[in-house]
Parts: sequence; C-alpha cells; structure tokens
Amino acid sequence: MSLAIEVYDLHKRYKGALEPALDGLSLQARKGQVIGLLGPNGAGKSTTINILCGLVTPNSGSAKIFGKNCIHDTVALRKEIGVVPQQIALFGNLSARENLMYIGRLYGLNDNTIRERSDMLLDRLDMTRHADKRVIRYSGGMKRRTNIIASLLHQPSLLIMDEPTAGVDVQSRALILNFLEEYHEQGNTVLYTSHLMDEAQKICDEVVIVDDGKYVVSGTPGELIVNTPDCTTLEDVFLHYTGHTVRD
Amino acid sequence: MKKIIATIVKEWILLRRDVAGMALLLIMPAILIVVMAMIQDAPFRDYQEMQFDLLVADHDRGSLAREVKTGLGQSRNFRVVDSLDGAPVGEVQLQQLLQEGKYRVGIVIPAGATAEVANSANRIANRISERIGLGTMPAREPRDSVYVRIYYDPVAKPTFRMSVSSALEKYITFSGSSLLMQRLSRLSGMEGSDSLLRDAALEQAVRGLEVREEKLFETGVANTLVNSVQHNVPAWAIFGMFFIVIPVAGNMIREREDGSALRVALVPGVIRFVSLGKIFFYVIVCCMQFFLMLGIGMHILPWMGLPQLHLGAYPLAVVPVAIAIAFSATTYGYFIGSWFRTTNQALPFGAISVVILSAMGGIWIPVDILPKPVQHMAMCSPLYWALDGVNQLFLRNLGLASVIKHLLILTGSSLLLWLLAYLRNTRRAASI
Repeated sequence: MSLAIEVYDLHKRYKGALEPALDGLSLQARKGQVIGLLGPNGAGKSTTINILCGLVTPNSGSAKIFGKNCIHDTVALRKEIGVVPQQIALFGNLSARENLMYIGRLYGLNDNTIRERSDMLLDRLDMTRHADKRVIRYSGGMKRRTNIIASLLHQPSLLIMDEPTAGVDVQSRALILNFLEEYHEQGNTVLYTSHLMDEAQKICDEVVIVDDGKYVVSGTPGELIVNTPDCTTLEDVFLHYTGHTVRD
Repeated sequence: MKKIIATIVKEWILLRRDVAGMALLLIMPAILIVVMAMIQDAPFRDYQEMQFDLLVADHDRGSLAREVKTGLGQSRNFRVVDSLDGAPVGEVQLQQLLQEGKYRVGIVIPAGATAEVANSANRIANRISERIGLGTMPAREPRDSVYVRIYYDPVAKPTFRMSVSSALEKYITFSGSSLLMQRLSRLSGMEGSDSLLRDAALEQAVRGLEVREEKLFETGVANTLVNSVQHNVPAWAIFGMFFIVIPVAGNMIREREDGSALRVALVPGVIRFVSLGKIFFYVIVCCMQFFLMLGIGMHILPWMGLPQLHLGAYPLAVVPVAIAIAFSATTYGYFIGSWFRTTNQALPFGAISVVILSAMGGIWIPVDILPKPVQHMAMCSPLYWALDGVNQLFLRNLGLASVIKHLLILTGSSLLLWLLAYLRNTRRAASI
C-alpha cells in the first residue's frame, strides 16, 4: 500500500523557545488508514500537523503528503488535505450555510456543488436544522461538527483532525466518531490527534506515540497493547511510554 | 474574481448583521459634520456677514458722533447701542459690560471730538486757502487728549479687533472728509446748493480708489468662498472615512483571534483575493460614507441655516478623488490590522494616529496658518492630500487634471501600505 504521509527527521525550534518542539521526528502512514498521532501536551503533535498543512516551516527534515512536499508545494498540497483545527475556524456571525458557501467559493467550487455537498454533510452530521443559525449561537458540539464539515467541502483525500472531539458532549462525540468510521470506510485517510485514548483505540488503524518532539513507538492499538508489558488498554500503553509526570 | 466577490458578499453580511457598527459608520460622521459645521459657522463667517452689538458712549453729541453712529448703524456689521434702559451709555458702564462679556466691543466718543475734527478740517482748509488767497477759519493747535477710545471684550479675537478698528477708522475718516469739504465750500462761498458736499463725483474722489473682489477665472460656476460648510463637510467627511481603520483593523484581528483567518489561510492561494475583496468592500463603504456626507452638506445643512455645499465646476471629478481617499483609508486600516497583534494595540493606535494625521493634514486648522515645520510634515499625511484634492475641486473650481498629483500620491502610498500588509499576512499565514 502506498504512503499517505512521510515525515523524516523533522526539527523545529520556535523563536525564543528553550526546547525544540520537534527533535528529529520521523513517521509514516499508509493511504486509507486512520492514523492516531498521540502524545502528551507539548509532545509536538500540533507542530507536526502545522508542518503537514504547510503553515509552519521546519528548521530541517522533510514532510510529504501523497508525495507532495509540505514546505515547497503548499498550494497543491492544500487541495489534497482537509484540516480540522483545534480552534473553531469559522466566522461566528455567519450561519453554517453562509460559512460553507464562502469557504466553498474560496475553493473555487460552484454554488450548486457547494449546496449539494453542504446539504449532504450537514445532514450526515445532524446540523441541517441549525444550518441557518449563526455559528456564534451554536453549542460546542455543533461548532465542532460544523468545523469538520467546512474541512470536507472540497473533498480532500486526507483529513487532518486536531482533537476534533475536545469539549463536546457524549452524543456529539458519538456522532463525530461514527461519521469518521464511515468516512474511513469510503477509503479516505485520516490523521487524528486526541488525548482520549479510548477514542483512539476504537477508531485508529494505527497509532504513533510521540513525546518531547520525538517518535516513541507505533503500531496498531492491538499490537501495542499485546507487546507492551502489563498493558490492557491503549491508555496503559500511552502511560507506559510517556510516563506519569504531568505536562504543562 | 469569484473569490473577490465571495469575500465582498461575506463582508457585507457581517457588516449588515452588525447594525450598531454600520450605524456608527454612517451616523457618527454625519453627526460630526453637522456639529462641526454649526459650531464653526460663526468663526468661519466673514465679518461682513456678521452683526454685532456695538456699545457707544457718546459724550460728544456733535456731528462726528452722529455720523459715526449713523455710518456704523447703516453697515450690516453693527447694531449701535448708545442707550440702555432709556439712559445714555456711560464709559464706566461700557467698560463694565464688556468686562462681563455682555458685549464684544464698545467705543467712547469723547466730549469735544466733533470740535477736534472740525478744528482739524479748519486747519487743512486754512492751509489750502492761504495758497489760493481765500479767507481763513478759526483754528487752534490740535489737542492730543481728545481721541476716540475703543474697548473690547477680553476674549475678542485679534481678527475681530482689527476688523472693528478698521471700520471705525473708515467712518471717522469719512466724517473728517465731509467736514473738510464743508469748510472748503464755506471758504469758497459755495454753500447751499453749490456746496462741494453735493458734488457726488468729488465725494467719490475723496473716498479714494475703490476695491472690488473679482473672480480668478470664469468657470461658469460662481466662486465659492470658504465657509464653515465648504471646509467642514469635506474635512470631517475625510476624517470620518479614515476612521474606517477601526472596523477594518478590528475585523482582521478578530478573525485571527477567532480562527476564521486560519480557515482562509488553509485554502490554497486565496490570501490575495481575500485581501482584495476585503479592501474593495471597505472602499465601497467609505465612498458611500463620503457621498452621504456630501449629500448632507448639499441638502440637509441649508435647512439648518448653514450655507449649501457646492461641489465646484466639475462635480464628477470628485468620484476618483473619493475612491482614492477611500482606498487610502482602507489600506491604512488593513496595514494596521496586519501588523498589530491585538485590538488593544491596533485600535488606540489607529484612532490616535488618524487624529494626529488629520491635525497635520489641515482638517482642524488650515495648513497655511500652521508653523512651517508642520506645513512640511503635512505632506506626509494622506489627509492633507485628500483635503487639498477636494479643495482643488470644490473651492478652486478646477477639474480632474488639477488632482492627478493628489490621486497618484494617495494611490501610491496605499499600494505601498497594502504591499507591506500583504507581506506581513503571507508571513503570518506561514507561522500560525
């Protein structure tokens, strides 16, 4: 199976920072998989995602998505990827439909296509009846769901999700995870970060654990649980490799 | 183009939903120009148009006092007040009333003033008659102690003082001239119907060379004198346009803070289109604001007793000027919104810098009367080029060719600001 993501020896130190955010991180992910990028706070997950999106330039190393260089080929790259940022990246005073219409037009889609895709995605994520309300009036779960829809409008081949279920209620979370499973079953690739290990264990084909900006271990959740001593859950594996020290 | 239009539509929806913000964009500048035009109406009015109460303490009761009072009273500038509550105004009372600010100006015509002027006329007439062998009139040495005293309210401005003093001197001179002609008529035996005073041509000659104001060039449109409306409406409309920096910069920073700017940054290759769309939209808003203010100056202010705003001989030439000013104001806001990180930094800087640039640019006080160094600094203010461009059209009645330099400077500086903002935004998109 060909590779969706190829990251080699990435180094990144932010201006004024004492410690590097990434210290020689390397990882690979195959097409059609849901890959969980797991790590404690400050492990380098968001920096990795920002480099993959072409938003941050590494000090050294290389990153490719579907063979496209994430540093030099950002325009072509961003057509291939959909990004669900941790932040709600929507215009609060526009409704979901107005947000989607604007974002779709920026992607160069025609209005009919935008309407068709919006209707389908709004329906799938149970947002149709709220679609004409302003985003600013949505609950946390509704905002997260709309944030996901906005990232899928241009039908990307790879969906990058940075903690897509943070701060949402159980029902919204279940809806988002079901949607992700369906999306994955359609042959799409997903790179996903979360602090919720049960969630990662449930939906990821493979997880990569990073800490202190470095690769730690990877494998399917099942393999990792079996191969790590005294572990029965992915959370045990995570704590085994990253320790119990609280990170800020 | 579709991406630019999409951004304009998005900005329109956002502004439409912010009813208070939109009202402030249009109503506050309207209130500003109405208030400024009204409060500056009096200082801007030519003294020829204004009428003041002139207190007169007449201790002379002679022909000089009578002629001065009649002359001043007949002019449109003064209403002569020589008695209060049925009693003649006295000098001490006059001083007291001026000190209290109840009157702006008062004159005291001393006892013997007419006699002094008559004596002076006699002396001149005697000098002339000596040379042509006519008789003489009784005359004595002039008394320095007799002179017309003028008092002002301490807050009266120097220009007002100068204007009143000139008018008073003019009427005293006329009175003296009349007395002189009377004396010459008497010495030459031409009294009654032959009097020199009845010779209109001679009277005209005594008045001297007439001064008349003429138009500089015939444009088919009457020259407009600068007045409160002609200065304040364009000046404060331009000032209001530059306050677009607040919504533009605020909107950009808010979009960065709430994450919506990140969504746009993730769409490939659209930053320049979004930037263009945003600038186009606010240029349209600024132009609407400007033309609304001109409309108020033309149609609303005359209802309030103020002069009507005139757009000069080439009114359509104001369209490119308005667009250039709007572009300048918007790109300044865009520049501030791009370079400042927080609204706490950007908004006070934006507002205060506009006030400073407007003060430098002649919005508050005409640049001509500012100190020389400030006049040079004014050239750095886009508001100077904006106001001067509008004045070229509205006051000097000139056409589009006269504002090409203004258009180039406003547009060139805007493009520079836009470029700097664009560079900052592309760098920021790569460092979120």
